[in-house]
Amino acid sequence: MKYEEGLNYCILSNQINLEFLKEFNEYVIIDDNKTYTEVLEIIENFLEKRIVFNESWYTYSKGQRKKILDLLALRKINYINITSNIEDTLLCDYIYVFDKDKIVMEGKKESVLKEEKILKRLGYSLPFVVDLSLQLNYYNILDKIYFNIESLVHDLWN
Amino acid sequence: MELKKLEGSIIGVIPSDLIKQENFNSTLVKDIIKVKIDDSLKMVKLDLDIKDKAFNTLSSMEKNKVILASKLQDDVIILNNFSKGLITKEREYFKKLFKKIASYHKKIILVTKDIELFLNCVDTIYLINNDNIVYKTNDYFDPALYIEGDIPPIIDFIYKCEDLKVRLDEYTDINELIKAIYRIKS
Repeated sequence: MKYEEGLNYCILSNQINLEFLKEFNEYVIIDDNKTYTEVLEIIENFLEKRIVFNESWYTYSKGQRKKILDLLALRKINYINITSNIEDTLLCDYIYVFDKDKIVMEGKKESVLKEEKILKRLGYSLPFVVDLSLQLNYYNILDKIYFNIESLVHDLWN
Repeated sequence: MELKKLEGSIIGVIPSDLIKQENFNSTLVKDIIKVKIDDSLKMVKLDLDIKDKAFNTLSSMEKNKVILASKLQDDVIILNNFSKGLITKEREYFKKLFKKIASYHKKIILVTKDIELFLNCVDTIYLINNDNIVYKTNDYFDPALYIEGDIPPIIDFIYKCEDLKVRLDEYTDINELIKAIYRIKS
């Protein structure tokens, strides 16, 4: 896998184990054994250009996650988020989708999250906001796919 | 405070601190699940060949399933960070399984900040700080939950509609929500 400078990546996987994580040995990995405050401290003092989160985002509230991402952006640090949670993919630029140890799909978020059939075959749903906008497109209430709730709500009611 | 004594049938607990996952290190799965191993593995959707694998070689999803399988005979089942590693399809399966287990008068306690796991599943939610109950509710839409817990997108959406003075009922099912939006828009 290649990681371009300036892009944030999501690794969507249904089999995250020690073997899988070997691929990321060269990076500092943040697991779910760090508190939110500890994570902020690590990022404040981080000297590399890319950091890896390993299945840890579910331990933060939405506000905490935003603060972490804002701090990463401020410090110009890019991330790789390894996760099984499809909702996490909304925040990255590029997605690698794994089935066990094989890449089955990759691409920009906007293209990968339109592949409903492949994602469902792997056991994922679409992220809520993508699913909702697709269905509202079907009913001619909206006319595009949304990747964040704020924009969808704004366009839906204004 | 003992979690086991919390009131409810399927209970959600949002802790303020980190929760430590149970760790069986290199213990083999067949030595962790001591009773009815084949049936237990099938119930949690694991292949039987996992029996001879060491716990620390498993994925986080498999670890969680093994822990659940090892507790299926208990009257009170406490699961920490159970959603870690679960994909969407499995989340739905386990919500149904929890309801089935609870119907046998067993208590299930899900300790996590991932409140999506509670939706359409738990009957009571507790906020816990330093082993003390600081809040109790049975309302998924209670904003107090989302100071520490992660907000499910459907609830986030309904809150944001309310900010624009669009009042939707408290839906936790996307299909019901879409019907409601359709009614308003037409």
